[in-house]
Amino acid sequence: MKKILLILVHSVLWRNIFKLVIGLRFYNRKSLRKSKQYILISNHNSHLDSMAIMSAIPANNVHTVHPIAAEDFFGDRSIKEFLMVHFVNAILIPRRRAKKSGDADPIDMMSDLLKMGHSIILYPEGTRGEPGIMQEFKKGLALVASRHPEVDVIPIFIDGLHRTMPKGFSLILPYNCKLIVGEPIEFKSHDIDDILKASEKAIRDLETIPDNG
Amino acid sequence: MNKLIPSLNLEANLQMVVAVIFGVLLCSSLLFAFWKKIKPSDLIDEMVVRLKSWWVMCLIFLFASLAGPLVTCVGLGLLSFFALRELYTHLLLRESDRPILLVCYLCIPVQYYFAYKGWYGLFMSFLPVFMFISIPFMLVMTGDTKDIVRSMGLMPSSLMLGVFGISHMAMLVCHPELNANGDVGKGLLLFLIFLTQINDVMQFTFGKLFGRHKIMPAVSPNKTWEGFIGGLVSTTIIGYFMGFLTPLNTWQLIVVSFTVALFGFIGDAIVSAIKRDFGVKDMGDAIPGHGGYLDRIDSLTTSASPFFHLIYLMLLI
Repeated sequence: MKKILLILVHSVLWRNIFKLVIGLRFYNRKSLRKSKQYILISNHNSHLDSMAIMSAIPANNVHTVHPIAAEDFFGDRSIKEFLMVHFVNAILIPRRRAKKSGDADPIDMMSDLLKMGHSIILYPEGTRGEPGIMQEFKKGLALVASRHPEVDVIPIFIDGLHRTMPKGFSLILPYNCKLIVGEPIEFKSHDIDDILKASEKAIRDLETIPDNG
Repeated sequence: MNKLIPSLNLEANLQMVVAVIFGVLLCSSLLFAFWKKIKPSDLIDEMVVRLKSWWVMCLIFLFASLAGPLVTCVGLGLLSFFALRELYTHLLLRESDRPILLVCYLCIPVQYYFAYKGWYGLFMSFLPVFMFISIPFMLVMTGDTKDIVRSMGLMPSSLMLGVFGISHMAMLVCHPELNANGDVGKGLLLFLIFLTQINDVMQFTFGKLFGRHKIMPAVSPNKTWEGFIGGLVSTTIIGYFMGFLTPLNTWQLIVVSFTVALFGFIGDAIVSAIKRDFGVKDMGDAIPGHGGYLDRIDSLTTSASPFFHLIYLMLLI
C-alpha cells in the first residue's frame, strides 16, 4: 500500500510537476537503474531537494529509498512529521551520536536500513547552506559508507532549486534547474578521510559537467 | 464595417499543407542520411539532431493548431510559460520580487482566457496597459526600493516578449469576426508559423551559403546582409505560393509575407542581443539542436502581432 502511494506521489505526481511546472531537468538518470541499492549524496540548498531526488528514482525502487532528516527540525510538529514519514518516506535521526546504550544512534539507524537492503539519501553538509558554497562534509557519511563497502555511493548535484524555494521562503516559483546524477564513486580505501574527500570531489565535479541530455 | 470574408475549403488545403510539411521533412531526412553516408562531418551531425527536433515540433504544432481553439490556447499558453521561465531563470531578479513574479506567471492564463473568449479589447489592453501600470505599483508595495527601476522595467517587458506576441496566435484562431465564416484563423495560424519558420531556415541557409557582409557583428556573427535579403525574398515568394491557406489576394499576400519575414528577423535579433547580454549561447537546452524554447520561437514573438494586425486591417476594416 505504501509502495503504491509512494510511486504515485513521486514517480507520477512529483516527477511531472518538477519537469513541467518547475522546470527541473534530470541528467544521467539511468545511472540510478544500474544498481539496486545505493547511498545517494547531494548538495543541499532547498527543502525541495529530497522530493526532487525521490522523483528521479526509478518507480519500482522508490519505496526502498529513504531521505535522512534531522528529527529536531522536521519532527517538531506532528503534521510535518507525519507528512515527512508517509509521503517523503523519510527517516528521522538524532543529530548526535548516542551517549549510552539504549539511545537511538544515527549511524546505527542508517546502517540498519542498509542491512535491510534499503537505500538512503544523505546530505553530507548536514544542513542547507548558502547556494554555490559547499560546506565541509560531516563524518556521518563516511562512517556509514565504511561499514557498507558493498553499497554504491552515487553523487548528485542539484543546481537552481534554491531559487525555486530559497531558505526562509514558502512560495514555490518555477525556474529552470538541473539535477545531475553521477556514476558510483570508486574509493581508494575505506578510510574515513578518503571517503569524505572523494565524495566531496565527486559532487564538485558534477557541477562542471557540460550540458548533454 | 465587417466585410464578408470569403470562406475557403480548408479541409482540402490543410491536407495539402500537411503533405508539403512532411514532404519537406522526409526529403531533408533522406538527403541528410545520404550526405552523412558520403561525407560525415560535425555540421551534418548537428543538422540531423536539428531535423529530429523539427519532426517533433511539427507534429506538436500541427496537432495544437488543428485540434480546436481550446487546445491551441492551452498549448500556446504552455509555450509562453516555458519561454517566460527561461527568461526569469537568467534575469536574476531580487528576492523581494518573488510574489510579483507569481503575478507575472498568472498573467498567462488571464491573457489566453481573453484570447479564447475573443475579447479583443481586453486582450489588447490587459498587458500593455493594465499590467504595465499595476506591476510597478505592486513592486512599490513590497517596500524594497533598492534596484526597483530594474524590476519595474524588466517584469512588464518580459511579459511583452514571452506572452503578448505569442498570444496573438491564439487570437487568430479565436477571433469571432475573423472566424465567422468557417475556420479562417486555423489556416492563417498555419500560414504564420510555417512562414516564420521557413524564414528562419532560409536566412540560415542563405547566410551559410553566401554570407559575407555582417549586419551586426557585435550581436550575432551569423546575421549577414546576404542571409537577410535572401530570406526576405524567398519567404515572400514562398508566402505567395502558400496563399491557398488564407483568404488574401495577391498584393495582400506579398505585403503580409514580407512583413512576417522582416519582423521575424527583428525578433531573432532582439533575442540574440538578450542572450549576448546574459552571456549564454542558448536560453536553455529543452529542444536538442535548437537550444531553449525562446531560441526557437524568437521570431514568432515579434512576427505574430504585426501579422495579426495586418490581417485585421485587410479583412475586417
